[in-house]
Amino acid sequence: MSLLHVEQLKYRYPNRSVLALDEISFTVDKGEFIGIAGRNTAGKTTLCYALCGLVPHFFKGAYGGRVLLDGDEILASSLSRITSKVGFVFDNPFSQLSGAKFTVADEIAFGLENLGLPREVMHERIQESLHMLGIEHLRRKNPFDLSGGQMQRLAIASIIAMQPEILVLDEPTSQLDPQGAEEVFTIVEKLTQDGMTIVMAEKKMEKLAAYSDRILLLHDGKLIQDGEPAVVFSREDLMEMGVEPPIYTTVAKKYGLRKESSPFPVTLEELLAFEMDEPLDGLFPLQEKLETSHIHIEELSFSYSDGQKVLDSITLDLSSEPIAIVGQNGAGKTTLVKLMKALLIPSDGRIVIDETDTIDTTAAKLAKKVGLIFQNPDDQIFKKSILDEVMFGPLNMGITKAEAKSLALQQLKAVGLREKAEENPYDVSLAERKLIGVASILAMDPDIIIFDEPTMGQDYEGKLRLQEIIAGLHAKGKLVICILHDMDFVSEVFGRTIVVGQGKVLFDGTTKAAFSQLDIVQQAQIELPHRYQVARAIQQKREFAPRTS
Amino acid sequence: MRNMTLYVHLENGSPVHRMDPLTKMFYVFTSVVISYMLPTHLLVSIVLAVSILMLIIGKVFRSILPIIGVSFVLLASILVVQGFFHPDRATVLWDIGPFTLYKEGFSIAFLILLRVLNMVCAFGVLILTTKPDELVEALVQKGLSHRFGYVLLSVLQIIPQMMALTGKIMDAQRARGLEMEGSLWVRVKSFIPLLGPVVLRSLAETRERSIALEVRGFNSTGKRTRLHELPQYPYGTVAKTLLTSLLLFVIVWRIWL
Repeated sequence: MSLLHVEQLKYRYPNRSVLALDEISFTVDKGEFIGIAGRNTAGKTTLCYALCGLVPHFFKGAYGGRVLLDGDEILASSLSRITSKVGFVFDNPFSQLSGAKFTVADEIAFGLENLGLPREVMHERIQESLHMLGIEHLRRKNPFDLSGGQMQRLAIASIIAMQPEILVLDEPTSQLDPQGAEEVFTIVEKLTQDGMTIVMAEKKMEKLAAYSDRILLLHDGKLIQDGEPAVVFSREDLMEMGVEPPIYTTVAKKYGLRKESSPFPVTLEELLAFEMDEPLDGLFPLQEKLETSHIHIEELSFSYSDGQKVLDSITLDLSSEPIAIVGQNGAGKTTLVKLMKALLIPSDGRIVIDETDTIDTTAAKLAKKVGLIFQNPDDQIFKKSILDEVMFGPLNMGITKAEAKSLALQQLKAVGLREKAEENPYDVSLAERKLIGVASILAMDPDIIIFDEPTMGQDYEGKLRLQEIIAGLHAKGKLVICILHDMDFVSEVFGRTIVVGQGKVLFDGTTKAAFSQLDIVQQAQIELPHRYQVARAIQQKREFAPRTS
Repeated sequence: MRNMTLYVHLENGSPVHRMDPLTKMFYVFTSVVISYMLPTHLLVSIVLAVSILMLIIGKVFRSILPIIGVSFVLLASILVVQGFFHPDRATVLWDIGPFTLYKEGFSIAFLILLRVLNMVCAFGVLILTTKPDELVEALVQKGLSHRFGYVLLSVLQIIPQMMALTGKIMDAQRARGLEMEGSLWVRVKSFIPLLGPVVLRSLAETRERSIALEVRGFNSTGKRTRLHELPQYPYGTVAKTLLTSLLLFVIVWRIWL
């Protein structure tokens, strides 16, 4: 008897006409690792909800089929009974904190207290899960003082301590920086080795391929395939479903590397088993230099009112081509772009945008010159329709309603949301809301556009769209500046990269040179682009391989 | 500011820190009630002196000062209103320009001031020396619903987070050309673009947090346990009995004697 048995599962959210899950059947055995792949809106999150009973017990709606957990039907069970067997961790580390506990250890105890466990058992389990998640040193800290990666590890610790039989993870790293994501993946790997049964939805296919026994490929609520990673990722129509295979598979496909009719390799080790030649050239495209606006930053320093120094004597000239700014969390990237937008005033030094010193202006007055697109679109959305939301910026600049509307529609078309203009922003997905945020800034037609983490939470299609938008802006003579954690995107889109670390500029030059200088990569604690990692691994293999010919 | 708790943590604690939350609540109640029942300045001053003494023993006297500072406006306005305008005015204390301060009014104002100060200090004894979770737990054990207890505690941590969120939202709207500095009308107009996202995001977050609570068995109907034992306070019964008798004595004295 399998641990989890899903049979003809159908589900529709209340007040919706489309099925979120459509006739899904599969089983999970004890100790298996099941990956869920699919683009945004494919139904990954809903499936996770259905496995831990939130569908249909928390989200009502129309439900059909059966989910059997250890032989018990989820529909007939109570939610608290189900959650004692299935642990669930989702993407936002912050809203998973109970909010009622003042130390990390007490936070873990929250669920155990609800289960009514005796005190000695609680202490034991807290100790165990703190140890397993590597957060023992944080036990007395306030949960709200932790970094994103630490908070997410605490969320997992809190669930693990309840000793569920299955752990369901819904994109546990999608809101974390690369370092935080790595911390979480290390834990996931360890849990897998310990024999935990895990179901994980994830966008980082390299990770899914490495951990999964089987992959469930979802598309529009339907289960397209349930198979081994190699088989699923070798599908020809994968990209059409908005899923990009692991980079290793892409490289293998490009060179036709597979054994006869068997599937393509999905991990680096499997790929390296083949003889091939992946040249480094063509990996880092250079962008054409055009006439654009110009930002001149001179001896810029910034400290917050508590005296904490964030930026230390930075000098930069930004113009002519799309520029990526990379570096760890806390390196000062967001502070730097806020200064460029006059949301903050320099403590020392100055920023001159074309002819204007940012000290002499306000963020609102700079709207026509500098557009800053923030990470989280929900920080700004307040109108009832997407169109109104996008018109808000242009209207602030004092143009007529008709003009604002035409500008807004034009930009909605550019981001692919023209058809949804009349819908409520909160009825579309977060990835689409991010695009609303983009359109609402572009509609003001600024000369300089700054993006803060635009790729976070975007799937393959969303990234492709962003790439087009950036190329289009560049072609129109706009200066694009982008803060990024996604090094693959950096290497594919930007010719110039600035590496920031500890409040200083560690490197400023071509993207290719940035990643070639390993001491800087290490100092800034950034990752290498996957393609580049592959190329380097191949190169190293050739250098060390015994010459047989 | 990460949370709104006023609790002052001391490495070695203090005799007041070690008192159990219920006894301290008893103290606050008794102290406040009798300060309003006692008629003379001297007696109320003694009650206030006891509260201040408790704060000093609890090593938190310094922390009460900013709170008294905040209530200063209220206290000052009591002095002004009662001192100048109390109906029983007869004896002139001072003439300040066209205004006259009367002794009767001033005396009543001073009494009220002592009572308010005592109230602030007595609550200070409770809030500054009691861990919020222990306080709520003590209430839950006395029959408060655990859901309501949760709300009380989470508010302490979540409101500061919302304040931080408002900062982010302000930046995002200013980036879209929303002017927030300037005339009153400009500020009023900027209110909705700020409030909208705060409310919508809080709603979304509330839904996510309720999922997180469900997943961790918050709604399970079984018996709950608690990680930390509430510290036992050996003198609790004695202290509560004394406080109750004092309260009864004052009531009897003021009503029948």
